Amino acid sequence: MSRLLLALCTGACILTTRPTLMTAQERSYDENALRVDEQHGTIRIVRGVSETVVAKIGVFRAVDVAALVKPSPNAVAEATIFERNYRPGTWMASLGIATLGAAIGASRISGLNQAVPTSLTIVSVSLITWGGFKLETAHRALSKAIWWYNRDLK
Amino acid sequence: MKSRVLRALLISALLSGVTAGAQTIGHAAPTVAAPGSGTTVASGRTAAASDSSHGYDAQALRFETHWGSADIIRGANGPVIGTVGWFRDFDMEKLVASSPQAVIEARAFKTNNFRGSLVGGLGALTLAVGTVVTANSSNNAASPILIIAGAGAMVWGAQHLNAGYSRLSRAFWWYNRDLTR
Repeated sequence: MSRLLLALCTGACILTTRPTLMTAQERSYDENALRVDEQHGTIRIVRGVSETVVAKIGVFRAVDVAALVKPSPNAVAEATIFERNYRPGTWMASLGIATLGAAIGASRISGLNQAVPTSLTIVSVSLITWGGFKLETAHRALSKAIWWYNRDLK
Repeated sequence: MKSRVLRALLISALLSGVTAGAQTIGHAAPTVAAPGSGTTVASGRTAAASDSSHGYDAQALRFETHWGSADIIRGANGPVIGTVGWFRDFDMEKLVASSPQAVIEARAFKTNNFRGSLVGGLGALTLAVGTVVTANSSNNAASPILIIAGAGAMVWGAQHLNAGYSRLSRAFWWYNRDLTR
């Protein structure tokens, strides 16, 4: 009789263990999946259905995105590309805008050699374009990083 | 005695199989709170799970923004299946039709994108007219009003475009959630 009870207990154990595992798997995406949300020039990375903000990436403020997506190797690789491009991109674009301002200012100074505002304009356009491409590369990598991270969730 | 034990084990195993199956269905379509809406929605996972072609690797969507528009891409390096943005439309609702919550977000994206494009475009036009009037050195009192109104409309439009991308991000989050993994 005791053996019978033991066998029933074993069966009951199997009965309770499997559904518990499945619940954990089903909850994983809902609670952990990331997405990007941009507001007023700030990139926010939010987690799960509750939309908890886990990172804010400002114009000059970068965060350790690689650490955020660490469980997924592909996501980490993309996050590294993002980090390598984002800050130089924002700095170059900003410097370009400032140089453009200087070029406009220089063009209004009478008697100044015309080569000065012209060269400033060329430099500013180059910086803005280069910064823009860097930022595009960064955004592309961030999109991929999050895609990979979410993919590797159960 | 052994046969009794075996029978008991068999009954337990059978029971566990039936219950686990029932719970799989129960958890496949959990109700969760939809962000921002305060409502609860049922997942479309059960329906998606039955179709193997709806796998995450093959179907999961993402978007990449560039120069005021966004490319909609399937997979990590997959094809661009559409572009949305300033006066660029794409049938998002049809694309994410398999996920009810994603459809709601796609609809909100469409509304925001249209408003943002329209008001932002009108703002840019007004700003350009104001700039031309000022550049012609005409002492027109309307020129500063045109510039301020134009810039304001552009900011308002940009905010709506941004809000639209936020909804698009949510739409893809829901759509990808309801895919099989």
